[in-house]
Amino acid sequence: MSHDTAPADRPLGVGILGAGPVTQAIHLPALARLQDILEVRHIMDVDPAVASSVAARVGATAGTSMDALMNDPAVDVVAICSPHQFHADQVIAACRAGKQAVLCEKPFAMNAGEAARISAVSSETGVPIVVGAMHTFDPGWLAAEQNWGDLPEQVHTIRSSIVLPPNARFEDFATEILTRPAAGEPNYSDINVIKNALRGGIMGLAIHDLPLVRRFTPDFADIEVLQVLHVRPFGYAVSLRTPTRVIELRAVMNSTWKPEWTFEAIADDAALHIDFTPSYVQAGSAVARLTSRGGSETRTFGPYGHNGYEGEWRELAELAKGTRQAPSAQALIDDLTFALAIADATVDSAPGQADTAEKAGVSA
Amino acid sequence: MSGPYTVLASPTAREAGAVTQTVASLPATFAPAAKNLQSTADVLVVAGEPGWTDEARRAVAAGARGIVVANPVPEDTRELAAAANAAGTAVVLDLRWASNPALVAEGDGPDARDAVRSALGTASLLDSVAATAPGTDPRRLLGEHLAALLAVSGPLHEMLLLRCDATGYTVAGRLANGAPFTAQGVLTAARPAGVDIRLYTADGGVAVQVPDPDAAWPAEVRVTGTHGELLLPTLYESAHRSAWRRLKDHLGAGTRPDDLAGFARLTDLYATLADT
Repeated sequence: MSHDTAPADRPLGVGILGAGPVTQAIHLPALARLQDILEVRHIMDVDPAVASSVAARVGATAGTSMDALMNDPAVDVVAICSPHQFHADQVIAACRAGKQAVLCEKPFAMNAGEAARISAVSSETGVPIVVGAMHTFDPGWLAAEQNWGDLPEQVHTIRSSIVLPPNARFEDFATEILTRPAAGEPNYSDINVIKNALRGGIMGLAIHDLPLVRRFTPDFADIEVLQVLHVRPFGYAVSLRTPTRVIELRAVMNSTWKPEWTFEAIADDAALHIDFTPSYVQAGSAVARLTSRGGSETRTFGPYGHNGYEGEWRELAELAKGTRQAPSAQALIDDLTFALAIADATVDSAPGQADTAEKAGVSA
Repeated sequence: MSGPYTVLASPTAREAGAVTQTVASLPATFAPAAKNLQSTADVLVVAGEPGWTDEARRAVAAGARGIVVANPVPEDTRELAAAANAAGTAVVLDLRWASNPALVAEGDGPDARDAVRSALGTASLLDSVAATAPGTDPRRLLGEHLAALLAVSGPLHEMLLLRCDATGYTVAGRLANGAPFTAQGVLTAARPAGVDIRLYTADGGVAVQVPDPDAAWPAEVRVTGTHGELLLPTLYESAHRSAWRRLKDHLGAGTRPDDLAGFARLTDLYATLADT
C-alpha cells in the first residue's frame, strides 16, 4: 500500500461512510470550517437518496458502495459514521485501502477481539486511527491537560454528569436534517429493554467521557460496579469504584432546553472542573477550571474558538500529513475495553429494576 | 419580655454556632449574658456533639426559655422534645445547610422546598453532592447532607449506603414517584464547602446550591422550565442567623418550633443507613 501525501497546497479529500444526523449536523458543519485543509469528496450511505442529497450539499460524489469509496483516489481520509456493528470491518478496510488516516465514530469496535484485529491492521499498514471521542480533542480539555501537573495521581473522585435535551434540538440549530431515525416509546416494564437502554447509555453517551475518566484512573482494569439506576426517559446513575478511585456517572436526557455537560476530577487539595458545550452546535470549546492549593488558586482555560469535533478533524489532517504522531493503539484499546467492562457490569447489575420502578410508579 | 434575651454559650458551642457574631447581628433581641448573670441566661447554646440531647435536657431543666443547638449530629430527640414541651422551652436547631433561609422560607416567600416539591411529580433524577474539608468524619457530613435533602425533598425511599470511606460516601435510593436519587459526599479542600442539589424533571428542573454558614453568602435556587430559568430572590443571611431569627420569633410569640420533630425523621433515616 502506498501512502501518497496530498500536496501541501491542496486540501485532503474526505470520504464519509454513513450520512445520518451525526454526519449532517456534526461532521459537515465542522468540515465547513476547515475548507482550507479538508474537503468532502465522497459520501456513502445505504440509502441512495440520503447519500445523493447529503453529497450534493457539499459537491461530493455520492454512492451506496463502501468499496467504491475506498477505491476513490480522491479520498485521502475516511470517516466511519455508520452503525456501531460495522465499525471494525470498515476501519480495517480503510487501513487496507491505503488511506492516510481514519476517523471512526465511537465505539470503534464492539468487543476486545475486534479491537485487537484493528490494532494489528493499523500497525501493519501504518495508517493512523482516530476514535471520535470528541472531548479528548477539545481545546479546553487539552489546555487543562497541559497544566494539571500531577493531578491524575492525586485524584480520588471522578464525576461525569450529562444533561441533554433531545438531539433534534441541537441538530436543528446546526443544519437542516434530511432524515431522522424513527423514535419509539420504549417499554420499560421489560427488564431487557432497560438493560438495552443502559448499555446504550454507556456505549452511546457515557463513552464520550470515559477516556477522560480513564485518564484519571490508573487502576482502571480493576473496576467494580456499586450501583446502577435507570433514569427515565433516558439516562443512568452509575456508581463505580476501583481500589483507588470513586467514579460517579450521571446522565439525563429529557425535554429540557438547558444542556449541562460537566466532568470533574477531585483530589484533596486540587480539582479539575470542565463545562463542555453541547454537541452539534459550533459553540466553541469547553471551559476548564483547575483549582489548587486548597481552593485558593484557580486557573481557567477557555473558551476557545472551536469544539472537540473540529479538534479531531484538525488532528486527523495533521496525522494524514504526517506532521503529528499517531495516537497509541493501546490507548484506544484500553479506552474501549474500559467502556465495555463498564457496560457489561452495568447491564449485569441491572436486574429487578423494572419491577421496582413499576411498583413505585403505581404508588406515586 | 421586651428587652434583649441574655445568651450563654460554652466556648465550643460559641465556635460551632458562630454565636458571637450572630447574636451581634440581632442586637435588639439578644445580648451576651453578663458574667455575674450567666446562671440565669434566657438562651443557652449547646454544641451538637454526641450527647447534645442530654445537655439540652439539662438546659431545659435549668429553666432556659430558649435553646439553640449548633450543628447537631443525629440523635434520639424524643425525651428532649417531651421535656421542652412540658417546660415551654423553644428548641431551635442551627443546621449547617438545612437552616439556610433559602431552603425553607417563612411565610409565603418562594423557597427551594416549594420549588423542589412542586417538581417531584415529574422527577427523572435527583442528584446531590456535598463537599467539605478532608479529615472530616464522612458520617458527620452525611448527616448534614441528609438534613438539607430532607428539608427540600420530603420522604426518601429505599436508601442504601453504597460506600463510606476517607474520601466520602455515596447513597442511593428512590423518590416518591420511583425516580432514582443519589447523594454523594466528597472530602476536598479544592471547592468551597457546601451542598448542591439537582432535581431533573421532564422539561427542566431545580438546582439548589447552599454555601457554608461561615458568612452570609446566599444560597442560589434556580428553577428551569419552559419559561426559561428563574433565580429565586437571594437572601444574604447565614444559616446561623436564620436559626436565631426563628428563635426570636418563637420567643416573641410564645410558640414552640417543630425542629425536633423534623430532626427525628433525619435520625431515623440516618439509623436506617447505618445498618446498610
